[in-house]
Amino acid sequence: MNLAIRDVQNDLSRFALTAVGLGLLLTIVLAMTGIYNGILQDATALPDSLGCDLWVVQRNTRGPFAELSRISPDLEDRARAVPGVRAARSYVSHTIQRELPTGKPIRFTAVGLSWPDDRGERLAIVDGRALSQPHFECIVDRSLGLSLGARLTLGRDVYEVVGITEGLLASGGDPAVFFTRSDAQAIQYDQSNEAIRLDRESRTRRFNESSLKNNEALRRRSLEANVSSPALGPPPIAAVLIDVMPGIDPEDVRSQLEEWRDITVYTQEQQDELILGGVVEKTKKQIGLFRGLLVIISAILMSLIIYTMTVDKIHSIALLKLLGAKPQVILGMILQEALLLGGIAYAIAILIGNATFHLFPRRVVVGNEHRLTLLGIVFAISVAASIIGMRKALAADPNEVLAS
Amino acid sequence: MNTLKPAIRAQGLSKDYGEGNTFVRALQDCSFELNAGEVVALLGPSGSGKSTLLTILGLINEPTTGDLWIGDSQVIEAGKVAQDVNDVRRQELGFVFQRSNLIPFLSAEENVRLVLELDEISPREAKKRTKEIMAALEIWDRADNAPNKLSGGQQQRVAIARALINEPSLLLADEPTAALDKSRGRQVMGLFQTAARERNAAVLVVTHDHRALDLVDRIFMIEDGLLDTESQFKPSEFGVIGK
Repeated sequence: MNLAIRDVQNDLSRFALTAVGLGLLLTIVLAMTGIYNGILQDATALPDSLGCDLWVVQRNTRGPFAELSRISPDLEDRARAVPGVRAARSYVSHTIQRELPTGKPIRFTAVGLSWPDDRGERLAIVDGRALSQPHFECIVDRSLGLSLGARLTLGRDVYEVVGITEGLLASGGDPAVFFTRSDAQAIQYDQSNEAIRLDRESRTRRFNESSLKNNEALRRRSLEANVSSPALGPPPIAAVLIDVMPGIDPEDVRSQLEEWRDITVYTQEQQDELILGGVVEKTKKQIGLFRGLLVIISAILMSLIIYTMTVDKIHSIALLKLLGAKPQVILGMILQEALLLGGIAYAIAILIGNATFHLFPRRVVVGNEHRLTLLGIVFAISVAASIIGMRKALAADPNEVLAS
Repeated sequence: MNTLKPAIRAQGLSKDYGEGNTFVRALQDCSFELNAGEVVALLGPSGSGKSTLLTILGLINEPTTGDLWIGDSQVIEAGKVAQDVNDVRRQELGFVFQRSNLIPFLSAEENVRLVLELDEISPREAKKRTKEIMAALEIWDRADNAPNKLSGGQQQRVAIARALINEPSLLLADEPTAALDKSRGRQVMGLFQTAARERNAAVLVVTHDHRALDLVDRIFMIEDGLLDTESQFKPSEFGVIGK
């Protein structure tokens, strides 16, 4: 007969309740692991999806994902002229929060693609197509909750959803929406009529007070109600993405570009490192710390549970000793109960996780390797927890049976 | 009685506790023999050393000095346990207590069978022997019951079955009738007598209960740690009139 199983059966409801409680705790540990992984994946998903070799950003900045980067759109053309460069694309992005006509709030990162060179073909489009016209189309991530053909009113224009991606989120967890660059900037610099009038009035007044007031061409430009800001030049972009020719070492191109004093150049790997080491570093540490704490709490709780279970049957253990039970029989019973408790709690955590993680607001990425790691942790905790119970059991005195 | 074979032999068992002002000699130079097939009652007032002697014979505590043999095998030599305690307990000793002390998470049958399974007897053989002894003690019909579903007397029968199933050389009973009425107490003592005779075990019963002393073969008295095995006490000396 298996003493551990018989002991568990004796008070099954209590054991089951304990296992469920522990299982919920392990679910949180697993969720924390998944959220941690999700943050790491989300952070690099967008830059990785754009598929380039080099990122050209504002001098001494860490790129558009870490901080504000403003460079001239001319850099796209300048970069194309560098030997070894196969293609150069501009990159703009900004975060938008709006309310749908249904009243549902949405928040996303608008990314501008360099039309017509980049129509979004490199993106992992799971439904629909890439952009096919320079205006009024967009590709959205599935997590935004919009379907193909949906229409999104932003600024003065309506954009139709023509493609759906999956898992393309910005580092903050917001889904990415891809427009052409001009559309993205039109949305970014959209102003109300009143704001445009006031701005135009202000510019005209400044212009008329300046020494350039007799320059007719400049005067006309200053009165344009365009979306540019500043009005006298094309709006800046955040970065230029460079693809190098096959067989060319990106480092060679990078070293050439680095000679320009107005920019800093990163390889794709460096960009990822900057994101992981900077943008999400604190969040990563916080989640990692929280996860560690939860593992420790689980270990302490499980130790207490196993200890209590051992104390509850200390009389029976003393009796077993008196009957001549070998130590391994008693220790085996405690270890088996700990492993059974841990195993059931683990199974509960996996089941709850599978059923609920997709409902979490942030992406929870749990792979088999993470499940196996948790299993290893649970096993280690179970063994460690049972040691405390075993020590108590080994100290049980058969005299207790006579004294009772 | 002389035809019975010695099962237990104790030589010069002593037990001291504490030192200096707290020094107590709980047991003083106890020497005796118990024969296979006999029931011996150990009487004495509280604190006289009954339990101390019982725990030494049960290898629960070591004596300060002395030797103990079970059959031909010396299990205590010069105050030290000379063999694997667990092996001796499983194979040579049986215990019955005032309370039945059954394991609450096992059924009556499992409580009895456990002893054999601890000794790695095959499950099939263990079940067969368990059924036999529980039937003999008229408790087999309650085999599947949890201990808390049994009456006091039934629990004590299960405990006796557990103590006897490994066919021990020595059965130690500590106040086994204290919680039972006279009739049940005599019944239990009768079971000891039968077990001793049929299974050739030596039975030492520590008791304050004089109501069933007519069912024992010999009576030992102990007081202040001194064991008197020579006085040939009669049950009538303790107010026991008859069966």
